[in-house]
Amino acid sequence: MTRTETAASHVREWSVASAIAALMLVLTVAAPGFFSRENLSDLLLANLPVLLVAVGMTLVIITGEIDISVGSIFAVCGVASGLLSKSGMPIWLAGAAVCLLGTAFGSLNGALVAYVGIPSIVVTLATMTALRDGLRWATEGAWVQDLPRSFQWLGLTQGRYPLVATVVTGLITAALAFGLRHLAAGRAVYATGSNPAAARLAGLDTSATRTCVFAILGTLTGLAAVLNAVRFNQIPTNAGIGLEMKVIASVVVGGASVTGGTGSVLGTVLGLVLLAATGPALTFLGVSAYWERAIQGAIILVAIAADGIRRPSFRRLVGAAAGARA
Amino acid sequence: MTARQRWFANGEWVLLLVCIAEVVFFSAVAPNFLTLGNFFEITRFSLELGLLAVALTPVIVAGGIDLSVGSMMGLAAVSFGTAHQTWQLSVPLAAVFAVLVGCAGGALNALLIARLKLPALIVTLGTYSLFRGIAEGITRGAVNFTGFPSTFLFLGQGYLGGVIPAQLPLFVLIVAAYVALLHRSVIGRALYAIGFTPQGARYAALPVARRVALVYFLSGLTASVSALIYVAHLGQARSDAGAGYELDAITAVVLGGTSVFGGRGTIAGTLLGLFALVSLQTGMHLAGWPAELTGVLTGVLLIATIAADRHIRRAAHARTEERGDVEVKNSQVAVLCGAIFAAALIVAGTNVWLIRAVSNGVRGADGPQASAAPHRITIAVMPKAKGDPYFVSCRAGAEEAARELGVDLLWDGPTGLDAAKQNELVENWITRKVDAIAVAVENRAGISTVLRKARARGIPVVTWDADAEPDARDFFVNQATAEGIANALTDEASRLLQGRGEFAIITGALSAANQNEWIAFIKKRLEHSHPGLKLVTIRPSDDDRDKAFAETQTLLKVYPSVKLMMAISAPAVPGAAEAVRQAGRTDVNVIGLSLPNINKPYVHDGVVQTVVLWNTRDLGYLSVYASALVAQHRLAPGARAIDAGRLGSIEVRDTQIILGAPLLFNKSNIDRFDF
Repeated sequence: MTRTETAASHVREWSVASAIAALMLVLTVAAPGFFSRENLSDLLLANLPVLLVAVGMTLVIITGEIDISVGSIFAVCGVASGLLSKSGMPIWLAGAAVCLLGTAFGSLNGALVAYVGIPSIVVTLATMTALRDGLRWATEGAWVQDLPRSFQWLGLTQGRYPLVATVVTGLITAALAFGLRHLAAGRAVYATGSNPAAARLAGLDTSATRTCVFAILGTLTGLAAVLNAVRFNQIPTNAGIGLEMKVIASVVVGGASVTGGTGSVLGTVLGLVLLAATGPALTFLGVSAYWERAIQGAIILVAIAADGIRRPSFRRLVGAAAGARA
Repeated sequence: MTARQRWFANGEWVLLLVCIAEVVFFSAVAPNFLTLGNFFEITRFSLELGLLAVALTPVIVAGGIDLSVGSMMGLAAVSFGTAHQTWQLSVPLAAVFAVLVGCAGGALNALLIARLKLPALIVTLGTYSLFRGIAEGITRGAVNFTGFPSTFLFLGQGYLGGVIPAQLPLFVLIVAAYVALLHRSVIGRALYAIGFTPQGARYAALPVARRVALVYFLSGLTASVSALIYVAHLGQARSDAGAGYELDAITAVVLGGTSVFGGRGTIAGTLLGLFALVSLQTGMHLAGWPAELTGVLTGVLLIATIAADRHIRRAAHARTEERGDVEVKNSQVAVLCGAIFAAALIVAGTNVWLIRAVSNGVRGADGPQASAAPHRITIAVMPKAKGDPYFVSCRAGAEEAARELGVDLLWDGPTGLDAAKQNELVENWITRKVDAIAVAVENRAGISTVLRKARARGIPVVTWDADAEPDARDFFVNQATAEGIANALTDEASRLLQGRGEFAIITGALSAANQNEWIAFIKKRLEHSHPGLKLVTIRPSDDDRDKAFAETQTLLKVYPSVKLMMAISAPAVPGAAEAVRQAGRTDVNVIGLSLPNINKPYVHDGVVQTVVLWNTRDLGYLSVYASALVAQHRLAPGARAIDAGRLGSIEVRDTQIILGAPLLFNKSNIDRFDF
């Protein structure tokens, strides 16, 4: 990665951070109730699963691929966790099994992309429809009910579960952020995305890297499905519709380029914070629900257009500096 | 690029084979699949999607993507409706206005992508929300523009010379324009170059930004034209027009061999892809197979076709590398391809003819036996959405009635709320010649034309759950009027709040017609009978339990004085209840319209006080029973009552069959119901 690119990706992180700051400022003045402890912890708990998927998606997007099947995998895994737990399996074991199921779906996507050579958007478009409609077909829309008592909150109490979920998600996010920056495997992800041919010539197994990032995303989606499912005592079969849009939007608003090679976990976290806070913030500000979607779209556009407008001048600046040094 | 690559580059042969296989297969399996009438029907409902797919082809060829086309359809439809009905503009002026809106939307995408150099995916993801959001904002989700003049509706519903759908010439014209642009012009070549390598195109002195801007502008324009056809086709303009079309259109484009990396793809391929997709869907409907299977098969088809294409290309690539370049003249290749194409057509033609002859033969052989045995009645029943637990429980009753009566039940419907899909299915059923059609109507104005057509062909039509225009159906199985539901809910709220206090509504999707009608009656009832109650806000749940949960969590904090949540979508009630329970707000009541089974835990815990609903199982039972009676000519207009199996005598008022008053489920009786 060149100096310019590093700098450019930080531009995005700054514009997203300032958008968040602006939103917070408006909220502090107009609706301080937003910052109550209950609201923040509710928001956090609702978005932990989304964060897990978004972090996985960051890896996939950095390699220059995309996965729009996460919503369907999320639904299938949620239903699977309920069925396993109903069959008497302890929830910890059921959770692990569901993560494996997610890994399997992710690896399937990855293998089709890396070894058969089909573009990822095509593969995941296909698995998205196939899994979603397959689930509808198998369950006929019936929810999973009569779950054992130990299912909700992973058998913990409502008070202790958020702590466990936050710690687990935080550790995974931090580990991936660290690995992506400092481990050889993480640098291989960037290399594969920024120039696959060069990465291959440098001796990296780009096909294996691609398959792995899809598998990791699948695993995280499985885990997210479990963390989401255990907040309730029954599981609907239409969960996760539109999840892929939410997640991809967070990742790209956070500065990752869909052509691969750039992006960071920090950016994704910022992007998700902006998008996840907007909806409830508008409710707190008393905006009518009918205009909410339009305003959310406008916020995404403004957040990214801001650095689009700023970038040319920034480039000139960097160019001039480079010229001066030469 | 050698001529060889130009002809074989896009895997269209693979796709052509797939299409032929589909046609052959479905003509053998599905009655009436291979008829001219059906061909034109397929064309009719795939035209709007087709326009989007055609418009997306140059975008994707140039290495971009446009996710906003479906939302643009919604915005253009609403703009057209507003201009025509609110501003009283004439139809042509309103159409021009809608197209201008489409151009403006396309120009916005073009500006952000070509001028500011922002990634297309994220820009159009933003405008995807923006356009749909503006459409919802203008109409407040609820306004449904109908009552367009019949000259305009002819564009979407009429036939030229009695057979050709009226919108076909317009479609052909636009496709021809796109073919000229992409394949016969310098601009088209520039688009391929840009898709292949934008950097290289710039060095070749191509105006990259202007060319890229052009395709996004055109895609907005075409989406708005498509919206006009959609409005004329369904007779209504609503903010949810074209929802989800962008993914179907992209599927058709990539199935047609266009590379998502840019630089490769043809309009012909896209049309073939569209044909493969649509004939798969129609074939499944005509064969009476579950619609969910279509999604699974589409996925498999997509991967298989692209994988086969990749495989062939790789093999061909390896061969050319071994042998070196084979020099073939353009004209020779053209002749060769022409010959192969003609041969394929002949083979296809003979196959089709053979299969028809065989199936006719089979039918002929069956004929005498069939007439000896009594004709087995097939009743086609359509829910609003198949996966919805509400309709799943109706299905149990429908199957029960079909067993008792000894009739065949064909239960199929859209997988999500989708008025256009409902029309398409009814058309399929008319082609299939079922004995009776029973529809839970998603959109009153939209479906009535096609239902009238069914009646004109001698197929009795019954509506259930929600009604169509009275002259478009024989009978309506009325479970409870919108007013009855609204009054029951409002009175219950008033009882729980003892006549005073604030409450909030969690609805389904903001544009859901049923819910909006209930809300209107709830407001009326509040005004007349319960002035002490105050409705503070209405929030959407999009029929998603988790979203209803999150919305309720926020509502509880923003409006601490709200003492009652009224959820009027089946999955929203348990969502709201869970939020209230987790917040520990024992002072907040939850009531709503939902199914007993998914609410049992909450009713027993005392979080949910009352669930209002009719007996859905009985509703499905009665709908099939009434349809069978009409089909056997045992129920004619003017009847005062019918004898409906285990339900006993059921009252008929005019042409409405009345199921009874809504039920109130609470702690005392909820365990007696299982649906």
